[in-house]
Amino acid sequence: MLLIHCPYCDETLPEAEFAYAGEAHIARPADPMATSDEEWRDYLFIRTNARGPHYERWRHVHGCGRFFNALRDTVSDRFLMTYKAGVPRPDLPATEDAQ
Amino acid sequence: MQVTVEELAPVARFSLRVRDKGVAAVGKALGLTLPGRIGERADRGDLAVLCLGPDEWLLTAPEEARAGIVADLAGIYARAPHSLTDISHREVGFRISGPAAATLLSMGCPRDLDRLAPGRGVRTLFDSASVILWRDGPDMFRMDVWRSFAPHVRSLLEIGQQELAAGL
Amino acid sequence: MSRYRIPGKGRVDHAAPVRFSFDGRSYMGLRGDTVASALLANGVHLMGRSFKYHRPRGAVTAGSEEPNALIGTSRGKGRAEPNTRATMQELRAGLVAESQNRWPGLGFDAGAVNDLLYPLFSAGFYYKTFMWPRAFWDRLYEPVIRAAAGLGRAPGEPDPDRYASRYLHADLLVVGAGPAGLAAARAAARAGLRVTLVDEHAEMGGALLSDPGVVIEGRPAWDWLAAVLEELRGLGVRLMCRTTAIGYYHQNMIGLCERLTDHLDSPPETAPRERLWRVRAARVVLAQGAIEKPLVFDGNDRPGVMLAGAAQTYLHRFGVLVGRRAAVVTAHDSAYFAAFDLADAGVRIAVLVDTRDAPPADLLDQARRRGIEVLAGHSVTATAGRLRIRSVRVNRVRDGQVAGGRAIACDCLLMSGGWTPSLHLFSHTKGSLIWDAAAQTYLPGETIEDCHVAGAGRGLWGYGAVLADGDAAGVAAASALGRAAAGAAPAVAHDRTGSGEAQRELPSDMAPSLARAFVDFQNDVTAKDIRLAVREGMKSIEHVKRYTTTGMATDQGKLSNINGLMIAADMLGKAPPQVGLTTFRPPYTPTTFGALAGYHRGSHFELTRKTPIDAWAEERGAVFEPVAQWRRAWYFPRPGEDMEAAVARECLATRASVGIFDASTLGKIEVAGPDAVEFMNRMYTNPWSKLAPGRTRYGLLLGEDGFIRDDGVIGRLADDLFHVTTTTGGAARVLTMMEDYLQTEWPDLRVWLTSTTEHWAVAALNGPNARKVLEPLVEGLDISNDAFPHMSVTECRVAGIPARLFRLSFTGELGFEINVPARHGPDLWRALMAAGAAHDICPYGTETMHVLRAEKGFIIVGQDTDGTVTPADAGLGWAIGKAKPDFVGKRSLSRPDMVAPGRKQLVGLLTEDGAVRLEEGAQIVDDPARPLPMRMVGHVTSSYRSATLGRSIAMALIENGHSRMGELVHVPMPGRTHRARITGTAFYDPDGARMKL
Repeated sequence: MLLIHCPYCDETLPEAEFAYAGEAHIARPADPMATSDEEWRDYLFIRTNARGPHYERWRHVHGCGRFFNALRDTVSDRFLMTYKAGVPRPDLPATEDAQ
Repeated sequence: MQVTVEELAPVARFSLRVRDKGVAAVGKALGLTLPGRIGERADRGDLAVLCLGPDEWLLTAPEEARAGIVADLAGIYARAPHSLTDISHREVGFRISGPAAATLLSMGCPRDLDRLAPGRGVRTLFDSASVILWRDGPDMFRMDVWRSFAPHVRSLLEIGQQELAAGL
Repeated sequence: MSRYRIPGKGRVDHAAPVRFSFDGRSYMGLRGDTVASALLANGVHLMGRSFKYHRPRGAVTAGSEEPNALIGTSRGKGRAEPNTRATMQELRAGLVAESQNRWPGLGFDAGAVNDLLYPLFSAGFYYKTFMWPRAFWDRLYEPVIRAAAGLGRAPGEPDPDRYASRYLHADLLVVGAGPAGLAAARAAARAGLRVTLVDEHAEMGGALLSDPGVVIEGRPAWDWLAAVLEELRGLGVRLMCRTTAIGYYHQNMIGLCERLTDHLDSPPETAPRERLWRVRAARVVLAQGAIEKPLVFDGNDRPGVMLAGAAQTYLHRFGVLVGRRAAVVTAHDSAYFAAFDLADAGVRIAVLVDTRDAPPADLLDQARRRGIEVLAGHSVTATAGRLRIRSVRVNRVRDGQVAGGRAIACDCLLMSGGWTPSLHLFSHTKGSLIWDAAAQTYLPGETIEDCHVAGAGRGLWGYGAVLADGDAAGVAAASALGRAAAGAAPAVAHDRTGSGEAQRELPSDMAPSLARAFVDFQNDVTAKDIRLAVREGMKSIEHVKRYTTTGMATDQGKLSNINGLMIAADMLGKAPPQVGLTTFRPPYTPTTFGALAGYHRGSHFELTRKTPIDAWAEERGAVFEPVAQWRRAWYFPRPGEDMEAAVARECLATRASVGIFDASTLGKIEVAGPDAVEFMNRMYTNPWSKLAPGRTRYGLLLGEDGFIRDDGVIGRLADDLFHVTTTTGGAARVLTMMEDYLQTEWPDLRVWLTSTTEHWAVAALNGPNARKVLEPLVEGLDISNDAFPHMSVTECRVAGIPARLFRLSFTGELGFEINVPARHGPDLWRALMAAGAAHDICPYGTETMHVLRAEKGFIIVGQDTDGTVTPADAGLGWAIGKAKPDFVGKRSLSRPDMVAPGRKQLVGLLTEDGAVRLEEGAQIVDDPARPLPMRMVGHVTSSYRSATLGRSIAMALIENGHSRMGELVHVPMPGRTHRARITGTAFYDPDGARMKL
């Protein structure tokens, strides 16, 4: 069971209170009807599937109820950071351990 | 190890949702300042307000205060839009008290209860049920459980009490 | 007192005899004994038979790494456990223990014939032998292998014991309460940390319990131990004995299994047998010590051959001599101390064989003083004896040449191949292991967890070094958490330090093909097997493991892994780290399913939600079915009725007069705020702007992919307030989806969502007489068809209770749904039942609800849809607000494959023979005469007997179904294939006149 820092509660809490919610920073097109079939397909289905740092969404469902974003290393399963929804995608932390 | 579990009498409960400038106005209408940090609680007489999320508060008050709260907040709706939803019947409250209260809760709650200071409250889990856990004192907790989950939660607490009574 | 127990010695209670039985014979042991120590005290070494060859075996160890002494234990019906380690099971009064893997008895075992066939059972035996002919796989080989497989007998009855679980949070968790663990816990606790110290044994102390002669901080080891435990208790340290750390999971989450009652004579009735702890610790110190390695030589598995350290433990902890005339063979200094202690206790040391040429001079001195003959540069090449060792054959080894041997009589043989640091939990963290060429062992490297290995676990030896290391680990943990801590490395006198050399199988003059030199005792893997595996091409240790099964038994290779690796590496001519080490995985020792299940068994297997009407339904004799997490009344049988009869009666009664249904489980969401209507327009397919307050509408919710996710009737109570209902199973999912859009896509909308599912109890009244039942109970409201038409909603009082009253129908009859605050649900229900008595009101359950809605062709999301069904597929195109610029899923509805021909569409299906009810899920084909595999064009989604229509009805998803009305299709079912005709889905009252009465 992971430990997750909720950026709204500002506490690091057990994973059991949270639910995963897919890849982050995939914004719904402002006017879906204006998108091409290919653009809409990509929005619906194409995901990064990263090996390593992955921007993703979680929800503190058994807590404050908020969706937020996280950067998690899919190899070590470590959360490198979490941040509130709507905050622009941060850069990869430079100090990340090579291990 | 001593611990008692009792079901509490019904109270009026509301889910209050408001944000931005509305927060201050709603607080004023309720006669207190809405606590700004998740887990913090403010009280005015019998009215308790617990901050559960960035724009979410739980209000509890005696049954007879219900109509007053509804009227007070309806009066400011136009200038401070918000949502005040009566959820008085949604949850059942249990009081868990005694020196072993925290131990009993640890059978289902994954949080570190040492870090939930008296006077605070949070939404968390007990077994697989979402609950609101209030800490009213070092050895006194309150747990609000959705009505349909209550029989399961209650029965687990009873098993835990038997364990504690057996001393193991 | 028995011949092998030293009066007054050990930590057992000599004044407290405990009677137990082993293989039907009664024995006496002492309080504090394990089953193994008690049997050894009675001179019993033979405790089991090996898995493959059924060779006689005795205890090799005194701990949880024991491979041989596995027994069945029982405390009566259902309370039986196979493969209990006799070395760990504490004695309790009346314990019934049995040996395993033998028939008819332990002394004479028919299965031992396998031992004579040893040359046949080579490595890879199964792969080679059971290949051909193929026809034998299922009928012959599998049954034979299955019958022979498995160790011990699984209990046949349900386990009546209770199991518990708790979460625990600590600043520091110390695993292992030997000297390093104790020192770490003390240093951290003195610095003010919340410390938990666990040990798998019945008492704390670890190696100190077997080395009472060591003096620490001026006190004999056992006095020091007592003082430290006293201090730890005073500092609030949580001390947990009989507690095994079974796994090390992410971010310092450690699973502990605590054994609570297996050692008690008569445990309290309500006490759990075991408790699983999920510990979250800021820091972890692993002080699990080291495990002694056996030596590999012919006959090293004979009862009476055991690890030297185990013999020392039996002597000091239990006051038990494992023999009277001991031989010792060692590659490490530590066995000398065991030999000295046994000699001092009166055991004759027949010989001490050291595989090394030049043992330390001071040890040789001490041996000489005790009159112990030490044979340096020697090897053990064989043992003799049938059920117990009788003699050992000893040979001189010079320059790799093994000289002729001589037999030396003994009744036990103590061996030591050195020590393997116990790094199992460290490995669970994906920590790297580093090969230490000097010590010929793996040591802990890096890990991403906040974890530190202390003491013998990282290759240190000697009490002074280990205590200092533990102390430093405690100080480091405190410093890491920002606490000032002062180290206090304990001073040690009479320390026992030492070193050794690593061995492969011992040199021998015996033909290698005949030697029975065991590497893995439990799975009967010999050195020969491992060499053969390498010869046959297994180059990685992972392959060797699977080919030979070494390390795959319940002890997971705790004794055998390094020996197996050394032999494989030697055979490959590579250094051990190039051959690798198999991965350690949780659990550290076998763990009961009970402990893992915890409270989640029987009625608590999963959470069951109950409605406010549940008690009434139960009293009324309802049969329940699980729906999502709920239990719902399925049907209400009268005496003598089966389900079909009850459902037929409930359906007819509802259509003829009035039925009442508990709809409380429907999800309810309050959508409130100035932008509520805009939010509803964006979420649901339907248009909401023109829906007037007081009116309701069927709402359809899609995923962004255009497929149906949920549906329900939605009422507008005010301009800025909607009462949304969802399906029972979809309630949480829909709320989550709405919150997602609101929080992350449209945070500007001033609208808030609140789940009110559980605030309301809901009674649905349906039938031509529904209004007659309800009317007298409604206050201040005209519910006539003109004043309160179909699809209306209002707030009013019903039976004196404030209510939200909906007029809607999921049955096709005149219908009302009365929502009242949940605590008033039973009152409302009773009032409606009383008012309905004059109209023979009939309570009905979910099955009747399903039949009635199917007669009308109303879909159930998740039954008639499966996540690939669009509104058009389901015939719900009318529910789409085509003029709306956008809603969730709208763009997908014009994707090419969503408008292509050939989609499966929802249709009705009427069997030619109305008495036949199709199976739900049955596949549909156009021509059953085609050869297999034939093309399937759809499947049945819903199927019922309709009492109203006097025949069966069904719904189905069929390719191009909407344009195939009237066509015949075929439905193959067990027994025969049925013909059915495609129809519309509205089987009953297609114009909907009855809803609008």
